[in-house]
Amino acid sequence: MTVTDPGLTDLFWEAVGRRELVRPVCGDCGRNFFTPQVACPACLSENWAYERSDGRGRVYSATVVHKPPSPGFAVPFRLGIVDLDEGWSMLAELVDGPDGRLPAIDAPVRVTWIEREGRVLPAFTEDPA
Amino acid sequence: MNLSDVAIVGVGLTPQQKRSDRNSLQVALDAAKLALADAGLHHTDLDGIAARWPGPGGTVLAPGSADWSTLLGVPLDWIGDSYPQGVPALVDAAGAILTGQATTVLITGGQAGVLGGGRVAAYTQPGNEFVAPFGAFTSAHFALVAQRHLARHPHARQGMAEIAATIRNVGSANPEAVMAGRGPYTADDVLAAPPIVDPFTLLDLCLASEGGAAVIVTTLERARDLPHPPIVVLGAGMEWLRQQYVDPARYEQTWTIGAAAARKAFGQAGLGPSDVDVAQLYDVNSLEVARQFEALGFCGPGEGTDFARATGIGLDGKLPTCTDGGLLACSHIGWGGPTLKLVEAVRQLRGECGDRQVAGAEVAIASGAGSGAQYYNLALLGRAR
Repeated sequence: MTVTDPGLTDLFWEAVGRRELVRPVCGDCGRNFFTPQVACPACLSENWAYERSDGRGRVYSATVVHKPPSPGFAVPFRLGIVDLDEGWSMLAELVDGPDGRLPAIDAPVRVTWIEREGRVLPAFTEDPA
Repeated sequence: MNLSDVAIVGVGLTPQQKRSDRNSLQVALDAAKLALADAGLHHTDLDGIAARWPGPGGTVLAPGSADWSTLLGVPLDWIGDSYPQGVPALVDAAGAILTGQATTVLITGGQAGVLGGGRVAAYTQPGNEFVAPFGAFTSAHFALVAQRHLARHPHARQGMAEIAATIRNVGSANPEAVMAGRGPYTADDVLAAPPIVDPFTLLDLCLASEGGAAVIVTTLERARDLPHPPIVVLGAGMEWLRQQYVDPARYEQTWTIGAAAARKAFGQAGLGPSDVDVAQLYDVNSLEVARQFEALGFCGPGEGTDFARATGIGLDGKLPTCTDGGLLACSHIGWGGPTLKLVEAVRQLRGECGDRQVAGAEVAIASGAGSGAQYYNLALLGRAR
């Protein structure tokens, strides 16, 4: 698997291992961005750091995957793009909420955690609150 | 010289198959030899090449990769290996020719001996740390764009199925297509096919097949001495929004990708959408065909599937589209896929397509990539006057 630059993303995955979601925030212009880049895509400053996310946002788009992309995936599963309230977005699996519902486009969601092949990953679930 | 002083003079297409017993370098070389023979040229006539196998930077920078200069025994004046396929390679080659860096350029590529079975093709799954763990792949990125479109325009689902059925039936009648003789298909068949990634079923999505494709590009002046009518580049445009398949594609940014490239290409050509006789659109899925009708200015926003239905995109329609059966039914050979669009455009413009020939085809579009890929390119090709 290609790691963009281990120095850029180690802290993200270390936080995920602690079930904590973080994202890059620019120390100069305040921009949130994802995926992590060498410099802030708004002002090109390298002065950015990971900050903890509250993990709440909305589903920007969602689909159901019926064909397994690789052996570790049980199908069907729901894949989405989530827009976090802090102004960044990420690709992640969408999973059942407390009432069993799978989040649809525009549904409010919050981060939760799943394990796949022994690895903790962020996922998002419907957030009725 | 202008862009239209550059011509495609040779095309080569190896057998397109579900699985080949050749390897990727062999099919790229096979396609190159076919294109040279078609052009009436010898490989020592080449002084430039755009090719990929197995990765970029082959000839100069990646030891152990294919060294095309050594392979062909030709010292080259020009190499293009950042995106050596389809329209971007054609534009790069034209630039090299127009600036005097090369006179005759080979563009070749394809894939063979690489596909497994049962799962999503490995080459459509970037091993990126922010993609692979979440199970995304090429069609899933396009699906995430499509789902937002369908939330606004639910009627487009039926039109997508009609587009897929039409193009697949065209491919069914093409003996060179991987899906030759399969079908016929109806829109209902497309809707009822096994789901892959919503909204796409198996029949909405392109093939993953094996084979090679090549074209040879030179000056119009030189082209006039060669066997086939020269096919010139009337205009071209490219858009590169973002690296493909890492950060997910956003509908509002990508649904209209290609609009600026099309304005540029049509402007260079002095033509508009109504002048296009055949459209070799990059049909990675059924909705992308409709999307391109909108983005390229054939119709208004949200009207792509209605345009396809009203205009007719089969061989008997007003705008025959993907006349070889496209990526949906003829073949999609990974990195060589974009070059397939050039090959079929040239064949139609030469008038050598036999039963699938579109009468009086004078202007063709060939395109590449799309919304989920976050880049796009197209060229307008035509017979030299």
